[in-house]
Amino acid sequence: MSFYPYTDNGGSALAIAGEDYCLLASDTRQSGEDYKIHAGYVPKAFKLTDSCVYAGVGFSADGVALVKRVRQSIEWYRHAHEKTMSTPALAQMIATVLYSKRFFPYYVGTILGGLDENGRGVVYSFDPVGSFEAELHKAVGSGAELIQPFLDNQVNLKFLPEVERTPLPLDVALQIAKDAFTSAAERDTKTGDYLEIFIIDREGVNVERFDLKRD
Amino acid sequence: MSSEIDEYNGGSVLAMLGKNCVAIASDKRFGMKLMTLGTEFPKIFQATDKIYIAMAGLATDIQTLSELIRYKINMYKLREEREIEPTTLAYMVASTLYERRFSPYYVSPLIAGLDKNNKPYICNMDLIGCVTTTNDFVVGGAADDCLLGTCEALYEPDLEPEDLFETISQSLISAVDRNAASGWGAVVHVLTPERVITRTLKTRQD
Amino acid sequence: MTQRLELPKGGFNFENYQRNVALEQQGLKLPTPTKTGTTVVGIIFKDGVVLGADTRSTAGSIVQDKNCDKIRYMAPNVYCCGAGTAADTQFTNSLICSQLELHRLATGRETRVCTALTLVKQMLFKYQGHVSAALILGGYDVTGPRLLAVAPHGSTDKLPYLVMGSGSYAAIAILENRWKKDLERQEAIDLVQEAIEAGIFNDLGSGSDVNITIIEKGKVDNIKGYARPNRREPKCRSYKFARGSTATLNLSAVTVTEGDAMDTS
Repeated sequence: MSFYPYTDNGGSALAIAGEDYCLLASDTRQSGEDYKIHAGYVPKAFKLTDSCVYAGVGFSADGVALVKRVRQSIEWYRHAHEKTMSTPALAQMIATVLYSKRFFPYYVGTILGGLDENGRGVVYSFDPVGSFEAELHKAVGSGAELIQPFLDNQVNLKFLPEVERTPLPLDVALQIAKDAFTSAAERDTKTGDYLEIFIIDREGVNVERFDLKRD
Repeated sequence: MSSEIDEYNGGSVLAMLGKNCVAIASDKRFGMKLMTLGTEFPKIFQATDKIYIAMAGLATDIQTLSELIRYKINMYKLREEREIEPTTLAYMVASTLYERRFSPYYVSPLIAGLDKNNKPYICNMDLIGCVTTTNDFVVGGAADDCLLGTCEALYEPDLEPEDLFETISQSLISAVDRNAASGWGAVVHVLTPERVITRTLKTRQD
Repeated sequence: MTQRLELPKGGFNFENYQRNVALEQQGLKLPTPTKTGTTVVGIIFKDGVVLGADTRSTAGSIVQDKNCDKIRYMAPNVYCCGAGTAADTQFTNSLICSQLELHRLATGRETRVCTALTLVKQMLFKYQGHVSAALILGGYDVTGPRLLAVAPHGSTDKLPYLVMGSGSYAAIAILENRWKKDLERQEAIDLVQEAIEAGIFNDLGSGSDVNITIIEKGKVDNIKGYARPNRREPKCRSYKFARGSTATLNLSAVTVTEGDAMDTS
């Protein structure tokens, strides 16, 4: 019986970037090995600044440790530069923090959703050791494989004729995010309980909470 | 959910149930791990005029099993002097798979068809013959998780054949695009009481 | 000269064994068969037996079937709930069910639950636990209400209340707390429903609806979906696509010909 330093606490998160908004949704279930449920409400998504939200899905302890470190760095930056970190700067910083533990990684799939300096929505996704990319939408976690192709289809409108592409309004993006999660909760046992949706726009960050299936 | 053996040759299959119709679809890739060897390897076989069977998994087992099932269906027709019904076929395939409980065929079969009263039927099986019958959709193959996600979100009950075709195609293409072991084209058959319409889809060729 | 085709003899076939071992040595792992995660429960009440089960089957952490039926017919007065590898429970049930039918025809008597038990346990022991079926057998025979359990290796239990499956820990907590001798029919049904719901909400391998079967003297009630605490809420939008959205390369249609007039089905 050897000690294995990681465990998979399950869960899923997704983020969608719009023209002037960004939306980040995550479930709140924390599960354990062998079909156990640890808790129904353990948030995985956290507000970092007025224009940025972070979600870390995978090993819960590392997700929490990472967000603590990132919040400390934001404080230091604010005191040093007398301004809040912008979302792209935050993304670069998180990548550096993740790579600093290249040989004992933070076992989380991270996504960052926010507004860039021009007020456009942007989503950054990271792998556990810090490789990152700006994208229009991303899903991470145990339900990622279920949610990602659906986002490709509905947000990118990837497989529909060119003439139908228009920018996605916020209310439609919200409906897509909710449906993505209700579908993932049906088929992925580790996703469920509650859904938290963070909406980041010019006015700041708003949270809405919905119920998901509890079984 | 899909194992390394499902991804060895690649390939994914999907079936959906609509209003008095069923649709069954597959990609056309045949590969060996990361190398694509063929792009004309659809995994759907016609069992009878009104029943189609699709199989994803290890290609050699798909071919062996499809021949074995063809033999059994023909013998059934000779003995019973009638065509086999979808539920009977499902359990016949399940028994064939369970016979090899401890040295299985590495396939995930799906069956889609209309019974003698034209009532639609779909089901799928795991590699040792556990039959799962549903009223909406069934999936199998390397991209099965992605397919489950797209189908669960896009599917609606009681779709007409033309709408069912759109939904099944969009579900399949979106899902296999996110899977490296599936793709290189797609085939969709829509079965209605009057006719079977086969379409080849235009997809990314990678 | 044509060779006479041999019909398969029945029983397990090990033809692919060597090839599969070679594949595994090359590093290709076996796919996971569908398991039933599961919570199944049986209790004896004043006039009979109540069996309950959830309706989810899983492959790894993905739900394979949201509405599978785990309470299966074994004999007119005996039903069987299965946990473990789904194919094993399905086929063990079918096999023993046919043997019991032949036994009834040979003896001319109603099946006893212990007969079913003996047939199951001897088969499972023969396969040394490799046929991974954990079953609860419940029925009403000449000796009265009977509740028996078989574990995959062939050991059996005779108890007034039993649980099996990954959700058994949650369910047994409810039963230990509230089971008592000579429950009334509705009290028994409520207790089984609570036990299964405990499994559904506290175990990831169990979910969806509660199925209940009540077996009394000369009467069986199969209630599928007795409780449905997990209905899916309607989606926010319709994802129906406009006809013609998907690009196709070619199309061919085959008209289905009407079958022959003879149809003896």
